[in-house]
Amino acid sequence: MTTASTTTTSTSTSASTGGTTVTTTGDAARATGPIRARAADPPTSGTASTGSRILSVVRLQFVNRYTFLWIPLLIIVSAVLLSLAIYWMVDSDSPVYGGGGQAPLWYYLAVGVQAMSLTFPFSQAMSLTRREFFLGTVLAAAISALVLAAFYVLLGLFEQATDGYGINGYIAYLPWVWENGWVGTAAVVAALTMFFFLTGFWFATIYRRAGTIAVTIAVIGLALVLLAAIFIITRMEAWSSVLEFFATMGPLGLAGILAGLAVVVGTGSWVTLRRSMH
Amino acid sequence: MTAVIDVQNLTKRYRSTTAVDDLSFRIEEHAIYGFLGSNGAGKTTTMSMLTAQNFPTSGSIRVFGEQPYENARVLSRMCFVRESQKYPDDFTPQHAFRSARLFFPHWDEDFAQELISDFRLPLKTTIKKLSRGQLSAVGVIIGLAARAEITFFDEPYLGLDAVARALFYDRLMEDYAEHPRTIVLSSHLIDEIADLIERVLIIDDGHLLVDATTDDLRGQAVTLTGSADQVNRFVVGREVLHRQSLGNVSSATVFGTLSDAELTDVREAGLERTPVPLQQLVVHLTQKNRNGSSEARPGAQAGSQAGSQVGSQAGTGSRSTDPSEART
Repeated sequence: MTTASTTTTSTSTSASTGGTTVTTTGDAARATGPIRARAADPPTSGTASTGSRILSVVRLQFVNRYTFLWIPLLIIVSAVLLSLAIYWMVDSDSPVYGGGGQAPLWYYLAVGVQAMSLTFPFSQAMSLTRREFFLGTVLAAAISALVLAAFYVLLGLFEQATDGYGINGYIAYLPWVWENGWVGTAAVVAALTMFFFLTGFWFATIYRRAGTIAVTIAVIGLALVLLAAIFIITRMEAWSSVLEFFATMGPLGLAGILAGLAVVVGTGSWVTLRRSMH
Repeated sequence: MTAVIDVQNLTKRYRSTTAVDDLSFRIEEHAIYGFLGSNGAGKTTTMSMLTAQNFPTSGSIRVFGEQPYENARVLSRMCFVRESQKYPDDFTPQHAFRSARLFFPHWDEDFAQELISDFRLPLKTTIKKLSRGQLSAVGVIIGLAARAEITFFDEPYLGLDAVARALFYDRLMEDYAEHPRTIVLSSHLIDEIADLIERVLIIDDGHLLVDATTDDLRGQAVTLTGSADQVNRFVVGREVLHRQSLGNVSSATVFGTLSDAELTDVREAGLERTPVPLQQLVVHLTQKNRNGSSEARPGAQAGSQAGSQVGSQAGTGSRSTDPSEART
């Protein structure tokens, strides 16, 4: 504590040294550390840069490829097969559209929960900072979302080329979603996936930090907000204009809104995670 | 000696309890520490805060001279092996080791492989399906092979049988000799690790009770064995930790060090002196603390109070710090 003796001004003593202050944020206090220990640092070759550690988190998330790759693809393939079986049984003359393509999205809610509840504690054991873990995990989810979007687009193109598997049935090639071509489709799927992933992640983070009651309150709060929105729209008899808004917005507009929501949820996750304990 | 960890007035309060209360200590480079205390004493909380996995309510922590929170430079040089570590779903030990290799700059893959075969750990079974002992082995292997500059083992032996525990201690000592580093071992099996640890930190109820070298701490008590009469005569007015009699032979463990005059007395009385098991001492010190004995925190400065506890009938009250002397 050599710094104490050099403090000549009349500031309170508690502020005079880095050693006795409560340190809750990283950067400010870091500079006041004794120089002695820094000099004993090993050559920096041993410590990887933050960038490469974030990429390592992506690899960590992909160590088990089932979670982020095979299971979502398996889900969408099964959804397609089940939908086809139904279309075949219905045997309609006009084109049939189904919502089976949304199945993997719900899985991403669970992936988000697991990335937090199981991988976060492990990342702490790997001596990662929360920032490294969060950025790496979001990047891993984004890569996974892009793969899913690509698969969805390819499936849509396949349906287009084969006139709905030859039986006029469509799962991925939904007219409204494809309004802006494959780019709009990919954007919607990727944004939806990220939104679902981050929502699961956020709820799991809230749970870890504050427990079941907090999650319950958050869910109830969310339900109330939605209910209020529905109430207001109904009261103002604005449903037709709301629907029209979504219809004219087009897939790219929707993707933009979803991406915005994902950013909001992601920011919420990060703020919650920053002060989450192991 | 260089302090790699410097903790000042560390306190952690939860809504209704204080888990860690005004802890101040330093941890020196290249030493093995025993971090001891009963369940709920605050050991895990303290180690969590040192590795920035938990947050102090007040006080400061310096690791390698820096603040550890969100500090990759500092964190990447530490490894914390928890007793109840969680792993990602469907992870196998192989996945866990592959990940550890990514993040610990000094990871030694050959050493890891050696340990895997030593512990007979199945690599392809999901961690969920491992036995408790095998689960502990995963943590132990990561902690050893990571060769982090500071490694914390929080009761790493849960479910490990005696053979596996001995293996852990052996490998730890061998590797420590070749690659000196700082190791903090928290354990309830105190006598098992007594020969490993060079320094002892004991906490109880969130307070620091003892911060001493293992030898100094051991020097604070002694076991005397001999004829029951002589032993009885000797223990009068002393704090007795433990007594045992068989026929006319009796042994008593007494707290406090012996002065030179007393040592002569002991020799002439034909009593045999043996060092005290560390565990007995820790239990005694903890109990004494809880009973709120008149002395302030015994041994917080190892030895400084020891003289006063000897009783002052014999002159200088100089204490023997040399452990080899105590064994003669």
